[in-house]
Parts: sequence; C-alpha cells; structure tokens
Amino acid sequence: MSEDMNISDILTEQIDRLFSNEITAKVWAAAEDGNFATALWQEITAMGVTSALVCESAGGAGLSWVDVEPVLRLCGRHAAPVPLGETMLAAWNLANAGLEIPEVPLAISPSVWQLDVKGRVSGIDPLIAWAPQLEYVVGVARSAGKQHICLLRIADIQAIALQTYERIPAAKLNIEHVVPVQIGDAPHIGKLGLKPHLATLRSVQMAGALDRILALCVEYGNTRVQFGKPIGKFQAIQHMIAELAGHTAAAQVAGLYACRQIATGIPADAEFGAAIAKTRLGSAATRATAIAHQVFGAIGVTDEHQLHYFTRRLWQWRAEAGSEHEWAQYLGRQAFDAGSAMLWDRLARHAAA
Amino acid sequence: MTTPFNFQPLELPAELLTLRREVRAFLADASSEWTGRDVGHSWTGFNREFSLEVGRRGWIGMTWPKRYGGHERSGLERYVVVEEMLAVGAPVGAHWFGDRQSGPLLLRMGTEAQRERFLPLIAQGKAAFCIGLSEPDSGSDLASLRSRATRVDGGWRLNGRKVWTTNAHLCDVMIGLFRTGGPAETEKHKGLSQFLIDMRASGIDVRPIRDLTGEAHFNEVTFDDVFVPDDMLVGREGEGWAQASAELAFERSQPDRYMSCFPLLPPAMDKLQELRLDDRLAERRLGESIAEMVVMREMSLSILGQLEAGRSPGQEAALVKDLGNTYEQRMPELVRELIDAPARINPDDRLSDLLGFLTQTVPTFSLRGGTREILRGIIAKGLGLR
Ligand SMILES: Cc1cc2nc3c(=O)[nH]c(=O)nc-3n(C[C@H](O)[C@H](O)[C@H](O)COP(=O)(O)OP(=O)(O)OC[C@H]3O[C@@H](n4cnc5c(N)ncnc54)[C@H](O)[C@@H]3O)c2cc1C
Repeated sequence: MSEDMNISDILTEQIDRLFSNEITAKVWAAAEDGNFATALWQEITAMGVTSALVCESAGGAGLSWVDVEPVLRLCGRHAAPVPLGETMLAAWNLANAGLEIPEVPLAISPSVWQLDVKGRVSGIDPLIAWAPQLEYVVGVARSAGKQHICLLRIADIQAIALQTYERIPAAKLNIEHVVPVQIGDAPHIGKLGLKPHLATLRSVQMAGALDRILALCVEYGNTRVQFGKPIGKFQAIQHMIAELAGHTAAAQVAGLYACRQIATGIPADAEFGAAIAKTRLGSAATRATAIAHQVFGAIGVTDEHQLHYFTRRLWQWRAEAGSEHEWAQYLGRQAFDAGSAMLWDRLARHAAA
Repeated sequence: MTTPFNFQPLELPAELLTLRREVRAFLADASSEWTGRDVGHSWTGFNREFSLEVGRRGWIGMTWPKRYGGHERSGLERYVVVEEMLAVGAPVGAHWFGDRQSGPLLLRMGTEAQRERFLPLIAQGKAAFCIGLSEPDSGSDLASLRSRATRVDGGWRLNGRKVWTTNAHLCDVMIGLFRTGGPAETEKHKGLSQFLIDMRASGIDVRPIRDLTGEAHFNEVTFDDVFVPDDMLVGREGEGWAQASAELAFERSQPDRYMSCFPLLPPAMDKLQELRLDDRLAERRLGESIAEMVVMREMSLSILGQLEAGRSPGQEAALVKDLGNTYEQRMPELVRELIDAPARINPDDRLSDLLGFLTQTVPTFSLRGGTREILRGIIAKGLGLR
C-alpha cells in the first residue's frame, strides 16, 4: 500500500514537472491546429505512465484509479493536449481482457457497439476526441448480453471529422461490420460500457481545469490594479472567487469519489460514481467559467490570454461521455425506481449489503 | 500540485451498519406521530422526552469518556447517528447544542468539576444548552460585543443583552461570551471570556422573539447583575474568543449544514409519482440534488476525519457550509418547481406542511452560524486575497 502511494506520488510529481515545463500556449495552439504533440507524447511514454493502471503481470505499474487520479487531474490542470487519460483507460481495459497493448496513443469510445455472430462490430460514436489522429479506438461491444473489449483500427471505420469547442481533433465514427484487431472478455464492465469510465476521466480532468482557473483568478485578483488597489481587495471579487473555490473543492471531491467507485470493481458502483461526478462537475463548470470570465474582464476573452484554453475545455468535457443533464436524469430515474423510502439509504451508500 | 484545500476521503467502515440500522429502527418507531412542521424543525425542534430516550440509548455524548457519562465510541459512530437523525428531521434540539458544541468545549477547556457536573446530564438528555454569542449591536462583528462580566467577591456579575439565542426559554444552561477585559474599541478580541450560566439565576430575563413562521424559537436575554460563581468561568479569562472560534469549526462542517431540508425529498418523490409527474425534468432535478448531496457528504466526512486527526480545517469547513447552505436553500424551490404546490399549508398533508414551514425558514440557513458573506470572507482570506 505505502509502496503504491510512493509510485503514485513520484509519477504525479514527474508528470507535473513535465507538463509545467513543456505545455505552453504555443503547444496548445499547435494541437488545436492539428499538430499532434509528438515530442510531449514521447516523453510521457518514456515515463511509463500510459500503463500505470495495467496490472504488474501485464507489464504495468498496477496502480488503482485512486492512485492515478492526481495524474488524470493534472491532464486537466495543464489542459494537456494529448490523449493520456484515454490511453491509460484503454490500456487498462485491454490488459483486463488479456489483450496486447499497442504502444501508441489510443482513443476511447463511450458507446456500446454490437458484435454479430461473424465476430464483426457495428455501431455509431457521435464524437470521439483525437480519433482523426490515432490508429486505434478501444470500446465495448455486446453480443447476447455479454460485453467484450475490442480494439478497432480507425482506418477500417468511416470517420467524419467534427469541430468542437476545444478544437482538438475529433470525429464521428460510423462503424459497419468491422472485424476487431483484438477482442476479449470484459468482466469488470457493465451494460453502459466504458461511458462511466470516460465520464469519470472527464470529471477528473474538469476538476483539474477548475483548479487551474481558481489559481489564475487568485493570481489575477492580487495583481490587476483598478481604483488604486488590486481588484482582489474588492469584496465583490473576493466573494466570486470564494464561490469558485467552493465549486473547485466539490469538483475535486466528486472526481476522486468516482475513481473510488471504479476501484471497487463493481460495475454498478462505477456507474453511480460517474453519474454523481459528471452531474456535479457539469454545474461546477458552468458556474466556474462564468465567474472566471467575470473576474478577468475583457482580457479573459482574448485569444492571447490562456484562460480560454481552460474554459473551452470545460465546456467541451461537460458535454462528453454524457452531459450533466443526462447523468442527472439517470440518477433521478434510479431513485424513482427504487422508491422514496430507499432514497436516504442510497445516498448514504452505507448499506450495500 | 497546488491545491488550496485538503479533502482526503474518509470511508465509513462496514461495521457501523449495525448501529445505523439500530438508529433507523428506533426512528421509524419514534417518528410515527411527527407532523410535517415537526420534521421541518429538525435539529432546532425541542423535545425533552425524545432527548431523554436518545440519551438512554447512549446516543448523546457518544465519544466522551465513560467517567463523564459518555460512551467512548468513535466520531464516526456519532456521525452515523447524527445523519440518521437529520435524514428524518428528528427533534434533537434539546440535546443538540450540548452534544455538538458545549459538551466538547467543556471536555477541552472545562475544569474537572464542570465536566463532572454537566457532561453526564447532557449525555442523559437532561441538560439543555444554549449559545449566547450574538448581541443587538454585534452580529457578524461578534468580537465587538459589549455585554460585560465584572469581577465581584466569589465570582462575576453579568450585565448586558444577548439576542437570537435559540431555545433560551427552554434551556437550562447558557454558555455566554462576555467582555471581561478592556472595551471593544481597544481590546476587541482580547478580554472576552466564556461562562456557564444557570438560566434560572435571578436577574435573567428571557423575552421570546416571534419570527415570520409565527413561532418564537429564539429570544432576547437580558442580564441585570446576574451573579456567576468563579468556578463557572470556562477555560481561561480573556481567551473566550479563541475558544468560541474553535467551537465554530465543529459547527460549520456537519450534516446539519446541508441536510436541514433533506426530509422534503422523499414525500416530494411520492407526490411526483402519485401525480405521474416523475418525468424527465423531475428525474434531472432530483438527480442533481442527489449528486450534490453525495459530494457534500463526502466533503463533510473528510472534515470529520481531519478533526479526528487533530487538524483544524477552518477553510474547508467554511467551504462546506457555504455550499451546503446554498444547496439546502434551493430545496423548497425545487419542490415548487416540480409540483406546482399552492401557497397553502394543509396540516393533514405532510408535504404541504413541511414545504410551507421550510419555505419560510430557509432564509435563516445562510445567516445562522456565520453569514454567507462572512464565510466567503474567510475563504478569500485562506486563498490569499485579503
Ligand atoms: C435561526 C437563527 C438562529 C440563531 N441562533 C443563535 C444562537 O443560538 N446564538 C447566537 O448567539 N446567535 C444566534 N443567531 C445569530 C446569528 O449568528 C447572527 O444572525 C449572524 O451572526 C449574523 O448577525 P446579524 O444577524 O446581526 O447580521 P449583521 O451582522 O448585521 O449582517 C447583516 C448583513 O450584512 C452582512 N455583513 C455584515 N458584515 C459584513 C462584512 N464584513 N462583509 C460583508 N457583509 C457583511 C451580513 O452578511 C448580512 O448580510 C441565530 C440566527 C438565526 C437566523
């Protein structure tokens, strides 16, 4: 346990240093212009972090979702323009299914595809981040009530490029009778496929972006002078930033909560945790982006300023892998179905037996 | 990685389920007669009989040493009892303040004699405590208070006025903050001291203040040469401010800061299902509420863990209270939005009774225990903005 903690701490520190040194506005702009950050990706893979979640017997670090949560949060805190979280998640699934992990960046699908009797996969993915630049996508296909992890070659799929708020390359995938490169059993994955996991990843990334926005606001509050004093001395600004801090703290707790639920290994827990986190993060992102732009005044909406790299990503991630509204509806429906007498019990999450 | 606050998770051990079930069974029994309005009062509802029963079951002063009538159980066990009580809006007001605030203060700061005298009574549900901080001219700016304790032979004489004292008319003892040093102008935070005051002492006048719900649950308390013996000073003379502030960290992060309106949700769900209004909108709104509540509870549990470990997460507690108050204040609105409830209180209809009472009460949630503005000031300070 303490050894795991160590590896996780070291990894977090290394990634933080790498991201702090390498990720600049220039790197973001280049990524949004369609240039994959190859140099950054090479350094990331050299650290072995892409297989952090993969069990040791399959050559990974064997860390848990709780252990890697700080690294995933850093991906948001630095708006890292690489699919690190997606690749970690994909590698974890491939390894769990006993499949080989290609040593390249991987895309993740939150949809559940269909597997036909001839072993071919079909389905639609409305939006897959990074797909236009990657070789493979990992997702779940269902046949006769059973889930399978599949590795598909994107070249075998019709991919329609999409524009998004975050401007990172993305595509809609029309999968028609595609034979997977690899396929294996997915015992830890429930009926919702990888959607809860991607929703959790996006939630944790959002918590990181919020953390960064809070830091930017505090810094700006202490340096921007109007009426002869730093604007942070005005109570109105203090209170806006205090509210932002509340959402940021809640976001962090919610993201980690979802990771803890995945770590139990029970699909229903992973789904509940993702629903809680994505719902809470959606409202946090909405309020936080409004506050941040208000604090920064006009400079905050300019292209030169870094703020928009975070606010646009928050708007993007808020919608991906199920919006906060969709997940809230899921939670509400479950609660109605279980009945009012069970509401407190379900909230307290302490009567699993 | 820089994050300005600490919210390490705390998982409730599975063994506590037994206790949770015991409390739940007791409450299912006890609650059969409670009206919607009773339930709406939740932790301010004052019911001696109920508190005596809770005391008999060992659920007050749970963490205190046995020699003071406590039960030497863990803070987590206490937490389970607290949240089960709040989930059904139990009338815990007669023992709440003693259990949550005054008892712990005496354990930390009181003399041996004070502990032996008061703690067992609190734990049995026999001694009800009230909190005498606010004054007519000192609300948010509490340290400016003027009520004075003057040294006399064998003790102190109290003069002045406290206000908004919840349940003072029903309580046995007040822990009051009084000026014992120089005037507020020169010794604002210095020179304040806390006293244990017998509410039946002569010279105390308790005048009820009717509030907008039509009830009078808080009071103005006037002190006219009230004698307090020497041995009723709590802690050290002149240290009252630090002592009272430490008390507030406990107060600000607990489930009563976000669960006050929770009892509205189950009957609202029933009504929605009965009227077949459990549609997409209702699902989404209910789901949002669930998500917010689960996250807040995680935050509150984390603070409990930190307090147990001897840290003082004042900043985190302020964050939880601010988020929690906003959350619970939204709840009656949520129900109105989904059900189109008329502005009519029908005592036979639990939901309308509860909704009516809470709609009128929620404005106080972001006042009591420190206003939203004061909390945000504390948070801003913690962030380095002040
Ligand atoms: C239901 C209820 C129960 C209570 N029970 C008790 C009790 O048992 N014992 C007890 O001692 N007290 C009790 N109180 C009192 C409570 O603690 C005070 O109401 C609270 O501290 C605010 O003080 P005030 O009402 O005098 O408002 P004020 O301090 O006069 O504030 C008025 C407004 O000004 C704002 N304001 C004040 N100062 C600042 C500032 N520096 N910056 C920005 N805004 C500011 C406030 O936020 C508020 O919006 C209770 C209050 C309520 C509502």
